[in-house]
Amino acid sequence: MKFKDYYETLGVSRDASPEQIKTAYRKLARKYHPDVSKESDAEARFKEVGEAYKVLKDSESRASYDQLGANWKNGQDFQPPPGSSSGFDFRGQGAQAGFGEGMDFSDFFEQMFARQAGATSHGHRHGMHMQGEDQHAKVQIDLEDAYRGAERTISLRMPVADGHGHIAHQERTLSIKIPKGIRAGQTLRLAGQGSAGIGGAKAGDLYLEVNFRPHSRYRVDGRDVYVDLPLAPWEAALGANISVATPEGAVELTIPANSASGRKLRLKGKGIPGKDAGDLYVVLGIALPAAKTDQQKEAYRNLQQAFDFNPRS
Amino acid sequence: MNTSFQQTLESEIIDDNVHLTLVELCKVCKSSEDVIRSWVVEGVLMPSGQDQQGWHFNGIAVQRARLAQSLAQELEINESGIALALDLLDRIHQLEAQLARISHY
Repeated sequence: MKFKDYYETLGVSRDASPEQIKTAYRKLARKYHPDVSKESDAEARFKEVGEAYKVLKDSESRASYDQLGANWKNGQDFQPPPGSSSGFDFRGQGAQAGFGEGMDFSDFFEQMFARQAGATSHGHRHGMHMQGEDQHAKVQIDLEDAYRGAERTISLRMPVADGHGHIAHQERTLSIKIPKGIRAGQTLRLAGQGSAGIGGAKAGDLYLEVNFRPHSRYRVDGRDVYVDLPLAPWEAALGANISVATPEGAVELTIPANSASGRKLRLKGKGIPGKDAGDLYVVLGIALPAAKTDQQKEAYRNLQQAFDFNPRS
Repeated sequence: MNTSFQQTLESEIIDDNVHLTLVELCKVCKSSEDVIRSWVVEGVLMPSGQDQQGWHFNGIAVQRARLAQSLAQELEINESGIALALDLLDRIHQLEAQLARISHY
């Protein structure tokens, strides 16, 4: 198990006041909140910062952490001294936090601050009936999946309480049917697939927030889908029939003569399918070929002579 | 830790046809009815339906309510602060989507 230097995580000294710790936490929590932050490792950092604050904000748990001494370094191999668990129950709070997928704490935290307390605090649920908690996860799908529907296998870490009230994380692999017509940001519900109920009570539900994997060709806005189509100057000027790849397969598209760059051609109902199907927009762009040979340069000079054209006038 | 069984599960989209009641939303985002009511007053959530008993929340509301709950808990932001933060986040997402559409030109 790796040692966690909670002071370093929050960027405060070991003798920081409770106010300094709170200020440092708030600042970092705003910076790394996964729904607000643009940092690539926001979610992991947010969890680290939250874990550090959970321990250091409470004077008693901070004192028991401080007892380990100041010589440990972040990431150093660490074995807890026997009987060192602080007996604090952070489990209950963690489960209530409702953020992230099952509140993942580090092994260090689990050993030092959660395990023993978790066991005792949940022990009193013997003989109780309690509906299982709802669980949340995010799933990324491809845009094409929204057109056709899909089957996806996802892995989840879910907290599970055994007969003695011990909380363990169980890896669950679920195969899920994703309905056709799903849009980014929507929520899927799988009834009864959350945490198991206690004492034979109903299981919770599993909620999945669906988002699309970024696509190299398509951009999505709600139900509408955008695709770029580069054209040669003569295709844009003279018009053309061009085969365009769409999420549903290639379609033959008529480009009107004298199409300007940025012109949008709408294919009605070819966006994400559904009762109110979205539209597919083909956005035209004009690609200029470089003039390399004498013949190509001559062709551009002929263009210049044929047009009395100044793009800046 | 162990791996459990695998089966193909049906899922339903929570939208205008499948929606959550106030009680269900409380359970999903682990907040109280009072808190959810205050978010509705501030315009963080816009349920369909006339009165509280008839309120219907869609899937977007589920995500917004969970985000609101997280902002309230982790950052201790009050209702009107949450409403402002979510409005600004919406604007950022819209602008980013627009930027993505025009970035090629």
